Amino acid sequence: MNTPTAGQSGRPEAETYELRLRGHLDSRWAARLAVPDLTRESDGTTTLVAVGLDQAALHGLLQRIRDLGLTLISVSRAPAASDDASK
Amino acid sequence: MSGSLIATKLFVPKLRAGVIDRGRLNERLQRGGTARLTLVSAPAGFGKTTAVVAWLQSRPPAGAVAWLSLDGTDNQPTVFWAHVIAAFQDAVARVGAPPLDIPEPSEQPDNVVPGAIVNALAALPGSLELVLDDYHVIEQPEVHSGVTFLLEHLPPNIHVVMTTRADPPLPLARLRAQRELVEIRAADLRFTADEITAYLNDVTGLGLSAADVAALGDRTEGWIAALQLAALSMEGREDVAGFIAEFAGTDRYVFDYLVEEVLQRQPETVREFLLETCFLDRLSGPLCDAVTGRSGSRETLDVLYRANLFLVPLDERCEWYRYHHLFADVLETQLDAAARDRLRALRRRASDWYEVRGERTEAVRHALAAEDFERAAELIELAIFGMQRMRQELTIRTWMGTLPDAAVRRRPVLGIGLAGVLASVGEFEGLEERLREVERGFAAITAAGDTMPEGIAVADLAQLPRVPGLVELYRAALSQVRGDMAAGVRHAERVLELASTDDHLARAAAASLLGIAYWSEGKLELARARWTEGRDGLMRAGHVADTLGASIALGDINLALGRLREAAHIFEYALEVSAAQRSPVLRGTADIHTGLALVLREQNDLEAARRHLLASAELGEGARLPQNPYRWRVADALLRQDEGDLDGARAVIETAVRMYAADMFPNVRPVAATRARILVAQGRLDEAARWRRDAGVGPDDAPSFMREYEHITLARLLLAEDLKGGGGTGARALPLLRRLLEAAQVGRRNGSIIELSILLALASRPAGIEEALKHLARALSLAAPEGYVRTFVDEGPSMEALLKAVVKRQIDAEYANRLLAAFGPAQPKPRMHPELIEALSERELDVLRLLGSDLGGPEIARELAISENTMRTHTKNIYEKLGVNSRRAAVSRAEELQLMTRRKA
Repeated sequence: MNTPTAGQSGRPEAETYELRLRGHLDSRWAARLAVPDLTRESDGTTTLVAVGLDQAALHGLLQRIRDLGLTLISVSRAPAASDDASK
Repeated sequence: MSGSLIATKLFVPKLRAGVIDRGRLNERLQRGGTARLTLVSAPAGFGKTTAVVAWLQSRPPAGAVAWLSLDGTDNQPTVFWAHVIAAFQDAVARVGAPPLDIPEPSEQPDNVVPGAIVNALAALPGSLELVLDDYHVIEQPEVHSGVTFLLEHLPPNIHVVMTTRADPPLPLARLRAQRELVEIRAADLRFTADEITAYLNDVTGLGLSAADVAALGDRTEGWIAALQLAALSMEGREDVAGFIAEFAGTDRYVFDYLVEEVLQRQPETVREFLLETCFLDRLSGPLCDAVTGRSGSRETLDVLYRANLFLVPLDERCEWYRYHHLFADVLETQLDAAARDRLRALRRRASDWYEVRGERTEAVRHALAAEDFERAAELIELAIFGMQRMRQELTIRTWMGTLPDAAVRRRPVLGIGLAGVLASVGEFEGLEERLREVERGFAAITAAGDTMPEGIAVADLAQLPRVPGLVELYRAALSQVRGDMAAGVRHAERVLELASTDDHLARAAAASLLGIAYWSEGKLELARARWTEGRDGLMRAGHVADTLGASIALGDINLALGRLREAAHIFEYALEVSAAQRSPVLRGTADIHTGLALVLREQNDLEAARRHLLASAELGEGARLPQNPYRWRVADALLRQDEGDLDGARAVIETAVRMYAADMFPNVRPVAATRARILVAQGRLDEAARWRRDAGVGPDDAPSFMREYEHITLARLLLAEDLKGGGGTGARALPLLRRLLEAAQVGRRNGSIIELSILLALASRPAGIEEALKHLARALSLAAPEGYVRTFVDEGPSMEALLKAVVKRQIDAEYANRLLAAFGPAQPKPRMHPELIEALSERELDVLRLLGSDLGGPEIARELAISENTMRTHTKNIYEKLGVNSRRAAVSRAEELQLMTRRKA
C-alpha cells in the first residue's frame, strides 16, 4: 500500500531528509517506502530523499526501514534548497 | 475477538527440523532465568523467536510457559492484558494447575490490571516464563507503563522474555544496574563460521567448500534469514559456486536479491500464491481460497511449509500459519504497480471473509488497508457501540486516524458512536462540530421519509432512533465540562424528552448529569430524585459497576439532607449489589464501605465504622475509585478524633488534603475545611485561622450551597475564638449562623439545619438559656429519628450541660438521655491493642476491671459468683495474655490498652 506519508510538503515543521541505507535497492522500493525516488551510490549504498516529513512521519519511515530488515547508515536533514528542487 | 485467533497468538511455536543446536545461546538464555527480564533485541530475521523456542525445548522440563505473539491490535491496554491473562491461563492449564484468579480487564481500569496479575501470580506454586514475542509492535505508553509495573513487581518465580526489533521504552538501565536484565543482541545472534558450516553442510546437506561458506558468511554477515534464503536458492542448483560468486559480487540488498532468486525458482502457481497472500497476517486454507479465488490453498500451504518457505505454524493442527514477517514484507516489495492495485481487491476479499465469520476487527483492518473506506466505515459503525462497552476506545481512535473524515460525515450513526468514544476518553475538542454534523445527517434522514437521502448512509439501523438523545447527552456533558451548568441542565433534560424509554443508558447518563447539576446548585431533593433514576437506569442497562458511583453520590446527598438512615440503606444496598457479582470485586466497593463508615460514625457505632474502613482498605486498588484514598483518610481522621487519637487525626487529615482527587461531583466538603474543623476542635485556633485566609471566606459572604460547609467551618472558628477563655459572648458568630440557617431552611437541607442549630444553641447560650434551648430543640427534633450522635457529642461539655437542661425540662428527654450516655471517655477501638497476642474473653475482662478496684481476690470471686479456683485461672490467663506478672502491672497495662473502660457487651 502506498502510504501517503511523504511528498506532502506544506505541513508545518515539515523537512526534507536524506537517508542512506546499506545495499542497493531496486526502484520498486521507493513506492514501498513511500519516497519519491532513490539513488544507488557507487559505494554500495542507497540514498533516499524524503520530502515534507515532520518528526512523526520520519519515525514512521524509520520504522518501515527497520521492519524491512534494512541497515540504516545515516539520516540527515537536507539543505532547504533540495526541498525546492524536488517539488 | 474470537477464540481461534487468540489461540493462534498463544501457541508456543515448535522447532522445525533443520534447526542447528546453538548451545552458547541456550546457556545465555538459561542464565537469564534468574533475572526478571531477558531481552532478545535484534533486527528482523535474526532468529530471535527460534533462539527462545530452542532454549525452551532444550532445557529440562521446568515450570510453565506462557507465550504471546503480539501484533498491532495489542496496542489497546484492555486487549493487551486480556491476551497476557489468556496466555497465563493457557500456561497453567497445560501444567494442570488451577486457573489464576484474575479479573476480566474490560471490567477493570487499565492501571489496576497489572497489579491484579501480580497478586494472582504470587499464588502460583511453580515457576513460569512469560514470552512476549515481537514486543516492538507495542507503541501505546499505557501498555509500556503497565509492563513496567509488572516487571517491577514480578514475584521471583516469574520471568519475562521479550523478543523485539527495537529496545522498548522500559526501565532497562535500572534493570541492568540491578542485574535483573539479560540481553541477547544482534551480535550474539549472528551465525558464527562454525554455525554456518553446520547449517549449510550438515543440515541442508549442500556440501559447500570452506571458501564458499566463508563467502556466504561475509555476504550475509551471519544473518540467518538471508542464509536460509541462500540455502533455498542453492538447493538443486547445479552451479552452486557460480551462484555464490554472483551473489557475493552484487551490491544489492541481500534479502531482496535472495527473495527474488527464490521466487524465480518456484513453480508459477506457488509464486502467484505467495504474492497474492503475502499481505495476510495469518493464513488458513479457507481464507487463502477466498482471497486467491482458487481452491486447494490448504495443500499449497503444506507444500510451502515442507519447502521451508518461511511459513510458521500457529496451532497444533497446522490449520493456521503465518509468513515470517520479514519474508512477507519483502515479498510485498516484489509487487509491481499492477499487482499492488490488485492487492486492494484481495484485501477486500479478506475483509469480507472475516466479516462473515464475525471477526469484525480483522474485517475493519483489511478494509482500511484496501482503502475501501466506505466499507470500513460501515463495519466500524456496526462494531463501535459494542467496542465501547468493551472499552476498546483506543482501537477505534487508531482506525479513525486512517479513515477519511468524509466517510464519517455521511454516517450519523458512526458519527454519534465516535462522539461517544471521544467523550469517554475526555477529548472534547471538535466534539461540538461532530455533533452538529450528526444532527444535520439525522435531520436529512427524517426529512427524506422512507428513503435514505443522497450522501447519507446508515448500517446500524437499530441505533438510529437513539441519535437525537445521544446528541443532547454529549452536549450536556460538554456543557458541564465547560462549566456551563445551566446549558448542561437544558441539554440533559432534552435527553429525557428525546430518548426512548428503553434507552436506559442514555436516560441514566442524562439523569446523573442532572443530578450533578442540581447538587451543585444545592437543590438536593431534585438531585436525589435524579440520581436515584440514574442509579436504577444504570442497573437496568447492565452497567452495575457504575451504579456504585451513583450510590456514592446518593449517599452524600442524603447525608446533606439529614437522612442518615436512608444514606446507610443506600450504602448497604450497594454492598449487596456488589456482593452479588461474581469476582472480581466491583470498582467503587471500597468507596461504599468508606461512605458507610462515615454514617456509622455519626451514629456513634465507632467499632462498626472502623470495621468498614478496614474492609475498604483490604479490598485493594481494583475496588477503589480514584477518590477513595482521600475520602478514606477523611473518615479515618474523624474516627480517630472520636477515638481520642488527636495527633493521629491531625496527621491523617494532612495526608487527605494532599490526596484530594477531583471528579465530576461538586466539591461541597473541601478537605481543607474538614482539616480546619479538626484544628478548631483541638483548640488550635491559630492554625485554623490560616485556613480562613487561604480559603478566602468571610463572615459577611452571601450564603451559597457550594460554600456552605466552609461557612459553617468559619462560624465554628469564630465561635471558638469568641468563647475562648470563657469570657466571650458568642455573638460574633451569630449573624453568620442565622443567615446560614435561613439559607439551609430554604434549601431544606436538614443535615445543615441540625448542625447550624447546634452551633446557634452554643453561640446564644451566654446571652440566656431560653434562646439556646429553642435552637437545640430544633436540632433534636430533626436529629432524633435519624439517630445522630457525634454532631452533638463532639461539642463537648457545653453541649452536655445544655442536654442536661433539656432532660430537666422534659423537652426531648429520651433522645437527650441517649445522647448524654455517649459523652465520656471514648470507646476503645480494636486496633488500639495490637500488642495483645490473644484477646481477653468477656469474663476475663470482668475480672480485670475488678482487679483495678480495691477488692481482694476472694471478694472479686464472690462479686462474680465464681469459685476462687476459677478466679485464679482467669487471673493467670489475664497475666499471660497481657505479658505481666503482678496485679498492679496488669491494671496499668490494661489502662494503657484502654481495656478498663470497655462497656459490657
